[in-house]
Amino acid sequence: MEEVVKIVEEDGVEYKNPIVIEGLPDVGLVGTIAASYIVEKLNYKEIGHIESDLFPPVMVIHDGKLKNPFRIYSAEGGRIVVVLSEVAVPPKAVYPLTTALADWFHKIDVKQPVISVKGLPMKNRMDIEKPEVFAVGNDEGAMKELKAKQMDLLEEGFIAGTYAIMLRECSKRKISAISLLAQCYPVYPDPGAAASAIETVKKFVTSLDIDVGELLENAEGIKLKARDLMQQTALSASEMQKGMEQDMPIMYR
Amino acid sequence: MEIERRILKATWGYNGNLEPLYEVEDEDDEILVTFDLPCVRKEDVEINTTKDTVEVIAKMSNAVCWERWGVVQKEISFQSFRRQIRLPEPIDPNKAHATLKNGILRITLPKTKRKVLISIE
Repeated sequence: MEEVVKIVEEDGVEYKNPIVIEGLPDVGLVGTIAASYIVEKLNYKEIGHIESDLFPPVMVIHDGKLKNPFRIYSAEGGRIVVVLSEVAVPPKAVYPLTTALADWFHKIDVKQPVISVKGLPMKNRMDIEKPEVFAVGNDEGAMKELKAKQMDLLEEGFIAGTYAIMLRECSKRKISAISLLAQCYPVYPDPGAAASAIETVKKFVTSLDIDVGELLENAEGIKLKARDLMQQTALSASEMQKGMEQDMPIMYR
Repeated sequence: MEIERRILKATWGYNGNLEPLYEVEDEDDEILVTFDLPCVRKEDVEINTTKDTVEVIAKMSNAVCWERWGVVQKEISFQSFRRQIRLPEPIDPNKAHATLKNGILRITLPKTKRKVLISIE
């Protein structure tokens, strides 16, 4: 049977105990902005892309070159892998995409926790100067890592979207995974939240030598360029039950 | 419907205006509308309200210029945000107030229909 979602790698790519950073679009575009900043600022090499009939029939052009909007980058001789997208993930693609990615993480022998960079929507975000970052882990190894880094944990509530299913699919393959959630605007692009998220990613990827100053300086320009993707993502979010993240679970404790 | 809207209507115009992202929330006795207005100073924002609409016109502190871009294939610059939205319920324009902080404009629009407390016999 043909794969619904296909990870296409360039020939000869090698991985060495890779750490994966996933920055697919979600609330505040925190992951997308953070992942794009990392790959552009540190000049990461594009090593592949993701294809699917479930994705919108869209390609993107950068510097006259045709590119797939779902791309995979790598650096440090295959020690860091970054997955990002320039278009929103359609709700119907969430399960096949996360399944394909988790299978691929297993194939490239990911031993360290997969890091999803996401946003935590805050109604009062405009009153928060420096967004805090919270975390969720999918197994004991991930929780141990989060505690070692003294992360604040999400302890009760629902999580929804690609990162929620990514945590689950990684668990099924015995791959540790964590989600880092930076407080953000629910429906506006949030470079400030992305900067906080990158600072936290650095705790887990110690070789990630990156300063977020430029990201914060260019925040307003980034917000302008990210308007359309934010709008697409907000449309997908309602179908992904993102609103449930504001709900209280029923379990008695 | 939304797909059709996105095909037919971009969020920018050749007239130099961008449509800002916005959110409308129904908050009990008031309607709360926020607009994302990067590159805008408080003194450059104009807000006009009627009982069922709110319009924001906001001049950017510097024009934003994009080159070699998309369907335009030439330099295009934007100087301002402009957007009028229809409100879900009538409001009292005289009691509306607004703040601008960190590039987010928050407009509070009190509804004209007020709740009446009913006592239980």
